[in-house]
Amino acid sequence: MIDAILLFADALYGALVIAVACSTLGVYVVLRRIVFVGAALAQISSAGIALALFLSGIGIGAFGLTRHPVALALIVTLAGAMVFAGSGRQRVPPDATIGAAYAMAAAAGILLIAKAASGEAHDIFLQGNILGITRTDTYVLMAIAAPVLIVHAVFYKEFLFISFDRETARTLGYNVTFWNLFFYLTLGLVIAFAMQFAGVLLVFNFLVLPAVAGLLIARSMRGMFAVAIIASLAASIIGFSLSVVFDLPTGPAIIAVSGALLLIAWLIRIAQQR
Amino acid sequence: MSALVTFDRASLGYGRRAVLSNLSFEIREGDFLGLVGPNGSGKTTILRAILGALQPITGSVTRADGLRFGYVPQRDQVDYGYPLSVVDVVLMGRYDRIGLGKRPSSADRELACDALEHVGIRDLADRPLANLSGGQKQRTLIARALVGDPNVLILDEPTNGMDLVSMTQILGLVRELHERDGLTVLMVSHALNEVANYVERIALVADEKVHIGSTDEIMSEETLSNMYGIPVDVSSFNGLKIVVARRGRDTRRS
Repeated sequence: MIDAILLFADALYGALVIAVACSTLGVYVVLRRIVFVGAALAQISSAGIALALFLSGIGIGAFGLTRHPVALALIVTLAGAMVFAGSGRQRVPPDATIGAAYAMAAAAGILLIAKAASGEAHDIFLQGNILGITRTDTYVLMAIAAPVLIVHAVFYKEFLFISFDRETARTLGYNVTFWNLFFYLTLGLVIAFAMQFAGVLLVFNFLVLPAVAGLLIARSMRGMFAVAIIASLAASIIGFSLSVVFDLPTGPAIIAVSGALLLIAWLIRIAQQR
Repeated sequence: MSALVTFDRASLGYGRRAVLSNLSFEIREGDFLGLVGPNGSGKTTILRAILGALQPITGSVTRADGLRFGYVPQRDQVDYGYPLSVVDVVLMGRYDRIGLGKRPSSADRELACDALEHVGIRDLADRPLANLSGGQKQRTLIARALVGDPNVLILDEPTNGMDLVSMTQILGLVRELHERDGLTVLMVSHALNEVANYVERIALVADEKVHIGSTDEIMSEETLSNMYGIPVDVSSFNGLKIVVARRGRDTRRS
């Protein structure tokens, strides 16, 4: 059994990098009540991939961008992140903006893939393919995740303050617009790369479920980060192993384990309250 | 007493539309000022101008050099779902002094505990924020404002949604901070009766105007009837002033 799992060791390492990066940012996503921003950005990222494939299929190079779907996905995801970062000040409520972006991005992705020259073969980009992660992919993921995590560790108090109470932060001289945009750009960056391998649903899972488990049982921010990261790693390792051994789809297996861990966290919470 | 914030013929609004025009008044050092007016009258607009978050359309709003505000937001503006302890929240009031990317030191933590002592909840320092009562949450936010060593303490609707006991205690605490420490205080509220007997001066915002004066000057039937546009009675009870709208058909505003 171990041998079978080790055959996909590179893929597992990649999944673990995605898990740590998404679950760390997921703490803010959950606390700021913007979970559907995660879903919408992942969907926008997948639409970016679909756009690259479509343009490539009809012979448009777009300065080489369409040869690297991740590049176009990154551009549209960061653009989406900038829109969401500023959506609080508009007449349209933020959740309506998120909902509209999600629906449009999902439809655009499906339409563009349907008309892409090699659409069906590339459906895998939209669904995610954890088992297909290579060692090089893992290095690329680490090159993205490590700077983002370092930035979040160094500027922890700044991100916390503008998330928790932006009005007071503003009165103390914080450029809340800048920090908010910075946060959304790090989120967009992680989602755009994680999406390539994990797919929309698994990225959404890593952004939400581990952080909710952390919120249920942790009594400090540090504890919430720790529980979220540990839960995401545990879900990845257990879900990945189960999927290999029992020949299950890997993404849904990891999500199922995340759900089980969330249930355990909920039971711990009940026990804590007694 | 020197002026800390000066409004000089300032028109305030959003875009080109002025919500309040031609405002001229000062917040002086040592003031205990209530910025009072009905909901939607423009109190928040004035507050944003004082804090520097809103530039006047015409005229000027100037702040004294080195002025530091200790801002206490409305309680419902803060999300109590974060797994933060009381002292964690108070420390935020020093974040700008600690510096970018640096962590609070043990000295910062000590100052945060001193601020909690100052507002009477030192023993709650390690308690989760979510487990506090409304009055304790408000004290935590006041401690956070104090820990930054401000020149002016600004409280936005500090008694909103509070029961009588908590409200009295919070207003008493703010008055004590003013009297004991000589702190300049600006209290924003829609509830004239609640703040009028605590503050020393009132800036009454109504009908796009600001009328500023001592509590006795503002709490007169003539001034209040003119400002609110309905006849009001001002009664005294145990040395406290109470404003009551006169009953009858003429109290209805068109």
